[in-house]
Parts: sequence; structure tokens; C-alpha cells
Amino acid sequence: MEAVQVEAIQVRDQIKEIIANVAGIDADAIADNASFMEDLQLDSLSLLEIGVDVDYAFKLGVPEERLQELRTVQDTVDLVMQTLEQRHPAAAVA
Amino acid sequence: MKRRVVITGVGALSVLGDDPSSIHRSLCEGRHGRRPLLGFELPSRTVSEAGQIAFEARRYLPQGNLRPLDRTGQLVTSAAQLALDDSGWDAERRREHPVGLTLGTMFGSVRTIAAFDQRALEAGPQYVKPFDFANSVINAAAGQTAIWHHLWGLNSTLTGGPTAGAQAMAYAADLISIGRASSVLAGGGDELCFESLFSADQAGLLAPGRGEGARPFDRQRSGMSLSEGAALLMLEEASGVAARGGRAYGEILGHATAFDPSRGTDRELGIEVLTRTLKQALEEAAIDPGEVTAISASALGSPRVDACEAQALDRVFGAELPPVSAVKGGLGESLGASAALQAVVILESWRQGRMPGVVGLEEHDDTLPLPRLSAEPFAVKVPGPVLLVAVGLDGNVGAMVLAPAT
Amino acid sequence: MNKRRGNKRRGRAIAVTGLGAITPLGSGRQEVWQGFLSGRSGIGPVESFDTSAYNVHVGAEVKGFDPQPYFRRLESSAVGRASQLAVAAARQALDDADLEDADFEKDGLDPFRCGVAMGTTSGEPLEVEHFNDLRAVAGLAEYGGELMTRYPSHVIAAHIAAELGFAGPNTMIPAACAAGNYAMGHAFEVLSSGRADLMLAGGADAFSRITYTGFARLGAIAPDVCRPFDRQRQGMIPGEGAAVLVLEPLDRARARGAHIYALITGYGLSCDAHHMTAAHPEGSGAVRAMEEALRSSGRRADEVSYVSAHGTGTPTNDRLESRAVARVFGERSSVVPMSSVKSMIGHTMGAASAIEGLVCAMAVADDRIPPTINFQEPDPECAVDCVANQARSLDVQVAMSNAYAFGGNNASVIFEKPSAH
Repeated sequence: MEAVQVEAIQVRDQIKEIIANVAGIDADAIADNASFMEDLQLDSLSLLEIGVDVDYAFKLGVPEERLQELRTVQDTVDLVMQTLEQRHPAAAVA
Repeated sequence: MKRRVVITGVGALSVLGDDPSSIHRSLCEGRHGRRPLLGFELPSRTVSEAGQIAFEARRYLPQGNLRPLDRTGQLVTSAAQLALDDSGWDAERRREHPVGLTLGTMFGSVRTIAAFDQRALEAGPQYVKPFDFANSVINAAAGQTAIWHHLWGLNSTLTGGPTAGAQAMAYAADLISIGRASSVLAGGGDELCFESLFSADQAGLLAPGRGEGARPFDRQRSGMSLSEGAALLMLEEASGVAARGGRAYGEILGHATAFDPSRGTDRELGIEVLTRTLKQALEEAAIDPGEVTAISASALGSPRVDACEAQALDRVFGAELPPVSAVKGGLGESLGASAALQAVVILESWRQGRMPGVVGLEEHDDTLPLPRLSAEPFAVKVPGPVLLVAVGLDGNVGAMVLAPAT
Repeated sequence: MNKRRGNKRRGRAIAVTGLGAITPLGSGRQEVWQGFLSGRSGIGPVESFDTSAYNVHVGAEVKGFDPQPYFRRLESSAVGRASQLAVAAARQALDDADLEDADFEKDGLDPFRCGVAMGTTSGEPLEVEHFNDLRAVAGLAEYGGELMTRYPSHVIAAHIAAELGFAGPNTMIPAACAAGNYAMGHAFEVLSSGRADLMLAGGADAFSRITYTGFARLGAIAPDVCRPFDRQRQGMIPGEGAAVLVLEPLDRARARGAHIYALITGYGLSCDAHHMTAAHPEGSGAVRAMEEALRSSGRRADEVSYVSAHGTGTPTNDRLESRAVARVFGERSSVVPMSSVKSMIGHTMGAASAIEGLVCAMAVADDRIPPTINFQEPDPECAVDCVANQARSLDVQVAMSNAYAFGGNNASVIFEKPSAH
């Protein structure tokens, strides 16, 4: 379990870096449960940019619709973790 | 009834600095902005220097997300900030009144378009960057600048080589003079990138020298020195400026543009087209060649293009040729920015009382009919009309007459 | 409107005397116009590059185009595809205006007073693709530098002028998907101010994987057909083409006995200054462009007989465009016919509003208007008469052509019957 938590924290940090880069803000300024549109004031093009960067960074290969459903930082972390766990179930329990 | 068009502010980012007085000083001192390449090199290595700017957009645009803007967009948006500040068009005034933007550029950003496509090739089409796609349109820099500064007047990009900035200024001046607009930022910009510099080198257009700039009108001239930059002038309808308590640096008296359909292959036709264009600009400005106090030449260091310009100047002015200034030996050929930078230098020369000479000229070319060229700056005792010449590499030509504000 | 008919007006007017176009539906004024009236579709599977890695596969390509017959001075293989399409459309337009071969002396024209104004979205993007393909595979050692000599978008207008010997003002306006209207607006000013006696104005773009990839990534491309203003519309379809209009001052056109299809009497430009790829939610820029176009032509909205819509077929564009038109036309917005030929030829980018300029000129000349095809289900958010599926006969006194673009660029152009002046 511990390894999964560590991994989740790393994933979260990496996702925040991606968002920070797209939004032109400091990663530390992004709350764990921040919403893209309301809290971070991101537009649809920025959301798409984040979706592409996240998909590429974690090699998710998830359907387009899943990326479009993302509304918050937490949504994104959850999607990445789920996808990684499905792909490497062994790693998740290691 | 035509309305008068005046210049009320300038913003310039160049290899010789980001304010008109230091650009002007460097040119008068004969300095050039060519530096060893940073960030990439050319495979041929015959050219290892170019006019890159150590550019930090944050210096000009302290607030806001810069990530959606590419380098060209950042250069132009920054130059716009300087021009808006200089002319007194603050955010409140821009909210109330439409400010337009006409931008000359050669590429927009060929770097962005190439990078967008490269990513599709390397990672797959689903991984292309949406921001890059938004910037892949050639009018992206003008659009981004308008969004950043909330310029809700007309917004047009005009493409061309070294003439693009002159075409954009002429376009804006016409729209102001007929009453379609009252205040327009006009000028141009281009970034320097691997794709443009490498291609210019492969096409044999670049001067190979090290530690020196291009040499316009020089016997040894062998090509241009490619640079980057952005320059915008705030053009306004004259009576409105007075009404808002603004001040004008100068006035656009007239202009003309044309095209050499032989694109340099018919020497005589090229000279004729440019000669007619210069005369037409003077005619529109309602001044005689004898009243022109100086020429701001386009000369970029190309053996063919500089010769064409020299011949045309001779045909228009003959023995009455006023002193000639040529700045691309210092600033390099900054494409979309070039003509607007020429205009910035003209305005500053009136203020400083002297104008740069033919920067980079060392050895006189006896085949050119311009006997009295000099690299030294010349005195401007009483500011008067200046003829700005812009000659492209592949047919476009433009000319504009600027005069001090009265 | 009836009261005004026959009343000669004193505004500025420029004559449209020749029309040329290369489109996914066909080539030349007649074939293109008949294609539009018959409601044919030029959309099909993409053939110019492999779309297997994409989730969409249809496009509107120009098939079987041979540039050779249109090139007499330049080498057609020495110019990019957008330039080939543009030169072909320019030659067709001159031919259509009875000025074929640009025999300046015979036609009483001065080459220095014949100019070109063209628009584009991407210029010659195939040159960038070629460069990248070389870079990825064979290497760049033998590269000839065409990004400097063949790629920059101004070559499109330059190639037309070089091919025809035009030495007058030469302008390239890359106003993305509104570029054709920007070019026409500029040509209108050049002619009105007496800087030229003849202008070729239009737009051109080549089908490219760059453009296709971008719109695919934005999720903007429809999977099968383009159905503007339909409730089930799913997007636009990228296309290619070129159109050129021969424009002359009215008195000159009449003096030489030219056939005048229509007049351009005004135009309007505006910028949203809102977002690069999204239109303003209230369509305020689009509204300003339409209002300025009407003002400059001295027309009221209730005098407009037909609107050529931007009508890309994306859910957002058509909704916002309908809303903007409602703000300008008021109650009449649901009854003034407004069709989108993009339903038939996709979105031909920089060529689109030039082709739609041809549509408006022909609608005025022919008193027929083309349909919006593939229309099945009305959308309450697009309460417009989109001339569903069937061309219509209509007395077209005044036509308005609207175009909107990346960068927040909006442009509207007004066409009228020659008898109005």
C-alpha cells in the first residue's frame, strides 16, 4: 500500500508540474483538489493541452472522451493511477 | 477628405537593444548585432553567427501566462507593450476606444509550425500540442497581441520579406486616412530560428563572415545577416491626438507599394518598378525629390538587391541625392521588423540631430551610382522629410515618406 | 427594399467582372456554381496522406488537378500547391473577365496598376512537411532552402503576379479562415483610393496533414459529413482550394463593356481580442464586422436578401454565428436565407471566403442561392433558414458574406446588383 501512496504523490506532483507549465503558474500554488476552470481559470484549449501532456507523459492511451471528462487535479490523478494499475497490477501491490 | 496620419509612439526590440536611443547610438557607432548562435547550430557551419536577441518576455510583460505565446508572439506582444506605453494608450483608454493592429511578417512562426508537425511525426498525431496549432496560423502573433492587450480594433497580418512591415504601415495609414480606423499599431516582427536561418543559408542568401555584420552597398557584400526583432509604431489620426493631449513624433505623408513580376531576373524591370514606386510615394506626399533630406535605404547586403536599389535611387534623385542611411549592417535583416525599425531610427534621428550612415560600409562599390556613401553618421540640422525604402528578395517593393510632426 | 430599387446610390462600388475557382466540387465558375446549386458533395476519404493513425478519415480534396495549362511563364512544378491552385483560379478569373492573357495594351491596362491581394491560412504548409520528412529520414544536407524561397505565404500573391506580369500593389493577408474577405476588403480600398485599376482578390490553401492533424486534435472534424446548423452536426471537414475575383472600378468596368456579375459595396473587419481558437461567446466581433459592412455599403440589415454563412458545422461556430446574426438582423434573422456551402466542399480555409465571395456574386447575378446540404434536424439554438438541401430561386439584391477565423478575426463583405448604382 505504501508504494502506491508514494506513487500517487509522485503522479500528483508530475501532473501539477504539467498544469503549472500550461497555466504559467507555480506548481506549489495548485491545490490537490483544484478545479481547472473555476479555481485555475483555464480555458478549453489549455485543458486540451494538459490532457495531451498528461496522456503523453504517462503513456496512457486512454480514449479521448476520458480526457475530456477531467475537471480537477484529483480527477486527473485518479485517471492516471487507475490506468497505471490496470496496466501493471503487480506494481500496485509491490 | 483624407485625414492626416501621425506617429505617436514606438516600441522596438532589436539585436541592438530595446529602446530607440540605444539602437540609434549603436548604429551611429557602427556596431552590429551579430553573435555566435545560441540554442542551435547549422550543419554546414559556414554560418555560425546571426542576429539573435537575448530576449526575456517577462521584462516587458510582467503579468499573465506567456505559455500560449510562441517566440514570435512574445516578441510582437512585447513590442506592442512598449509602443502602447510610449504613446500613452493605457488599459483604460484601450477599453474605451478600439486600437487596431497591422503586422508585417515573413513567417509568423515557421518554428512553431515545424515543431507541431514534427511532434505528429515522432509521437503520433494524437500528441500534437494544441497551443502550437493555435500558433501555427500565420496571423497568430497579431491575434495573441490583440488578446494580451485587448486591442479590439481591426487586426490584419500582411506577409512579405523585408517589405512586410512597410506594407503593414501603409495598410494602416490608408485605413486611418479614409476613416476606417483612428488608432492602429503598425509594424512587424519575425523570430530567428533554425528553420529560417538554415533555409536562408542553403538558399545561398547569407553573408558568411564572422565578427562582422552584413555590408550593404559594399563592394564585398555577399549576402544578408539574418536577425530577429519586432517593432511597432502607434499610428493615429492627427486631430484625435491633439484632442487627447497626446504628442506626435512624425507624420506619414505618403507611400506606395509595387511588385517586380520578374522577381529580380529582369534587371531593368526591377529598377523601373522600384523607381516608379519611389516617385509615386513622393508624389502622394506632395514633395519634390529635392525636398527629401535623407534616405533610409533597404540595402541588406545582397549583391543584386542592393544594386537595384542604388540604381533606382539614382534615377529618382540623380545629382541631388540626399545623405543615405542604411541600418541593416547593424540590425541585420529582421524581415517583418525591418521597415518598422527603419522608421524608428528615422524618428530617433530627428530627436538626436544625427542619422546613422551606411552601417558596415567599408569598401566603396564603383559599379553603384551612389558616389558619396559613408559609414559615418550625418548631421540632421533641421529635421525634414525622409524617404524610407523597402525592397524584398523576391519582387515586393515599398516606399514611404515620413516627416517630422508639425 | 422595393422602394429603393432603381434608386441609384452614390456610395463607393467596385465591380466584380471575373470569377475563377478550383474547389473539391470542380473547377471554373460554371462547374463550381452548378455544383453548388445541385447540392453535390465534394467530400470523401482523404487520399493525399495516410489517416490510419487518426480517428477521422474524410476530407475535401481537389482531385485530379493539373496546374500545367494555367502556367505560361512560371514552371508549375517550381511552386507549391497553394500557389498552383491560386494561379489556376487567377487565370480562370481573368479569362472569365475577357482579359485572358493579360494583354495590357489591348485591354488598355497599365501593368503597374494591376495588383493582387490574396488570403491564406497556412501558405504553403506542404513545404514544412517536406522539410520535416527530409529531416526525419534522408537528412537535410541536400536541402535547397525552400522554406525561405517557396514556403513564406506571400509567394502565393507573388506567383500570381509573376505569372501574369502584374507590377501593381501585391498583398498577402494570412487572416486564417477569414482571409479571402480580408483580401477583398483590401482590394476594395486599393481600387477606391485609385492606387490600381484592376485587382485580383481571393484566397488559397492546400490540403495538408498539418492542418488536418490540428483540427483532428481539437476534435473539430466531423466523422462523415458536414451538416451546418443541424442539431446533430459533429464538426467541420478540412478542405482545399482557391478562388479569385477580378475587381475593377465600376466606371472602368462599364467603359470597357465588361460583364458585371455584382458590385462589392462595402466590408467590415473586427477583432474579438478574446481567444485564439474560440469565438467570443456573445459573437460581439462578428456583430461589429456585419454592422460595419452594412454601414460602409449604406445598407440596412433588412435590405439583405441572402447571407453566405461562415457555417463550418462545428457545434460552437454555428450556435454563436446564429446568435450574432440574430443580434444584427433582429426578428428577420430566422427568415433571411443563410446557407453554408461548406456543407458541400468542407472548410477550404483561406480559400473559403473567396469561394463564398464567388457564391455571393453568382447569387446576385443569377438570382439563385445554394443550399446547406445534409440538413435533417433543426437546432433551436440555430434559428436560421439555412436553405435546407435544395437550391432556391430568390431576387438577390444584396448578399452578405461572413467569415470568422483563428485569432478572433472577423470579416463581412457586401455584394449588390450592378443596377443599384
